[in-house]
Amino acid sequence: MVSVPPAQSELISADQPQSDLVLALPKGRILQEAMPLVRAAGIEPEAAFDDPGSRKLQFDTNIPGLRIIRVRAFDVATFVAFGAAHLGIAGNDVLMEFDYPEIYAPLDLKIGHCRLSLAEPEDLAREDDPQSWSHVRVATKYPNLTGRYFAARGVQAECVKLNGAMELAPALGLCPRIVDLVSTGSTLRANGLREVAVLTQITSRLIVNRAAFKTYPDQVGGWVERFQTALGAADAA
Amino acid sequence: MTAPGPFQRALLPEGLRDDLPPWAEHEAHMVDRLMSVAAGRGYRRVAPPLVEFEDSLITASGQGQGQGQGQSQSRSQSMFRLLDPVSQKMMAVRSDMTLQVARIATSRMAGQGRPLRLSYAGHVLRVRGTQLRPARQFRQAGVELIGSDALEADLEVIALAAEALTDLGIKGLSVDLVSPTLVPSLARQLALDLSTTEAARRALDAKDIAALAGFDKTVRDILTGLMQAAGSLDSALPKLERVSLDGQAARIRDTLVTLARALKERVPDLKITIDPGECRGFEFHTGVGFAFFAPHVSGELGRGGRYQVACPDGGQESAVGFSMYLDSLLRAVPVPVEHPRIYLPFGTGQEEARRLRSIGWRTVYGLVSVSDPAAAARAEGCTHLYEHGVALSLTADDEASEE
Repeated sequence: MVSVPPAQSELISADQPQSDLVLALPKGRILQEAMPLVRAAGIEPEAAFDDPGSRKLQFDTNIPGLRIIRVRAFDVATFVAFGAAHLGIAGNDVLMEFDYPEIYAPLDLKIGHCRLSLAEPEDLAREDDPQSWSHVRVATKYPNLTGRYFAARGVQAECVKLNGAMELAPALGLCPRIVDLVSTGSTLRANGLREVAVLTQITSRLIVNRAAFKTYPDQVGGWVERFQTALGAADAA
Repeated sequence: MTAPGPFQRALLPEGLRDDLPPWAEHEAHMVDRLMSVAAGRGYRRVAPPLVEFEDSLITASGQGQGQGQGQSQSRSQSMFRLLDPVSQKMMAVRSDMTLQVARIATSRMAGQGRPLRLSYAGHVLRVRGTQLRPARQFRQAGVELIGSDALEADLEVIALAAEALTDLGIKGLSVDLVSPTLVPSLARQLALDLSTTEAARRALDAKDIAALAGFDKTVRDILTGLMQAAGSLDSALPKLERVSLDGQAARIRDTLVTLARALKERVPDLKITIDPGECRGFEFHTGVGFAFFAPHVSGELGRGGRYQVACPDGGQESAVGFSMYLDSLLRAVPVPVEHPRIYLPFGTGQEEARRLRSIGWRTVYGLVSVSDPAAAARAEGCTHLYEHGVALSLTADDEASEE
């Protein structure tokens, strides 16, 4: 007599519950300003994090179960929106561009101050009447945000997506206007451009994945509070 | 134009997919489990058609909080339409089965006693996927409890959903309770204008305290309080009770608190979180809404809540329901492994094959005589080979599972 078949449940591989939280940090300018806050919140990345020669993409921290990844600013939002990272630091320019419903932005970290502005060549700006526009052609890294901004003003925006060196576009005739980040305005001036409108002011936010907030409310909420405290200390100093 | 490649026929439109073994069976099995949990609690199954006249799919259900028009609009934008060549009327493919169940409840089953407990499962089709769920066709399965406004009804549906999801092997299940009517009610009480209300909702949905900076202090304090009263039940409930609310808003808050406490007692193992300020995705609900989550699964496993069903006579019925989406669920459950299948070499007696099936084997019968039955069995994806009255395991290193 042959025995009965093995129960299917015996064959199911035990799932590995992976309970690490991942903090996504943006490469570049913001990182310099963000690290003091990250450290003040009690997070100390492993040494390789500060080693420019290191090829690592993920970093352990002094906190067991908390890892750091360092990615492009735009990708921070994407990693967090899809739950691949649970916490992150991202500018509200990025958040507004993607408008991911799965991201909470509970804390304004008050770093990375700048603004998103519309600029055009000085010559054009002198006789330009924005009220008369029905259509504008704009080079930008933020096509969605730009499109929404103009649509709300009854203007159809045709956006040409560029990933950098926006200031070249008017000079080389790609399109007359650009929407770009401005902090001092010196890059614009150096390229003969004038800032004609501010779309939005920008700072960096602590962001949280919605599902992570719901499934680890105490852990994730705890980190928000620690950043809040670190921020309060930084403000007081 | 490039010549069509040999695989071009395999290309499917965006958001559509073929389900292969073992996933297709696994998904069907999960639906069966949910439906049997529901049946066990007295929910009877209904099966509406895939396609209906556009008008009935748009206006079938609930106009809570005067948002009926927005609801119709957003639903109508998510549906595929086709012209019925017979009636020359516009038809639509369902994008959400709850509307159809509500239609059945208020028409063909209007004469049946209340409350009415119904369950359903079937495919839905949407014009667009979302960032998190790109699928345009997926299975929806759920229950509706129609015609009772008792809190006990909410409790029954949430507990049923929790039981069904736990039964599917989901670990660390948690439910988030929301009060989507709280902010609109507050806005009316505080006489906020439309754009301020919208800004408040956006801020609450993003938990963006910074966005409240420009608000009047009274309003800001309340909204900030609501935002901070989000989290696990034990820590958030006291914070929610401290938020200064009165009138209708206070009653809405009390309903949430009462339900959360009762749920904790009813299903002690279930992790409960509350988020009183969140409205997104619950715009059509008229009472407590809820969503299920599991650790390290992005997005919701299922959701539901209380809503109003519009009756043909102009009246309304209160209902509470729960839907789960199989595409999300499949990402949360343990990976299925193929059911054991045993290869019977050509010539094995039919009587013997029947007996093996009767004790639970899935048999794969060799169609021709082969020299290496083990190889043939492996080629057919079998886990076992039937040889000399014994089931030899082909998967593990361990040898035959004897007699």
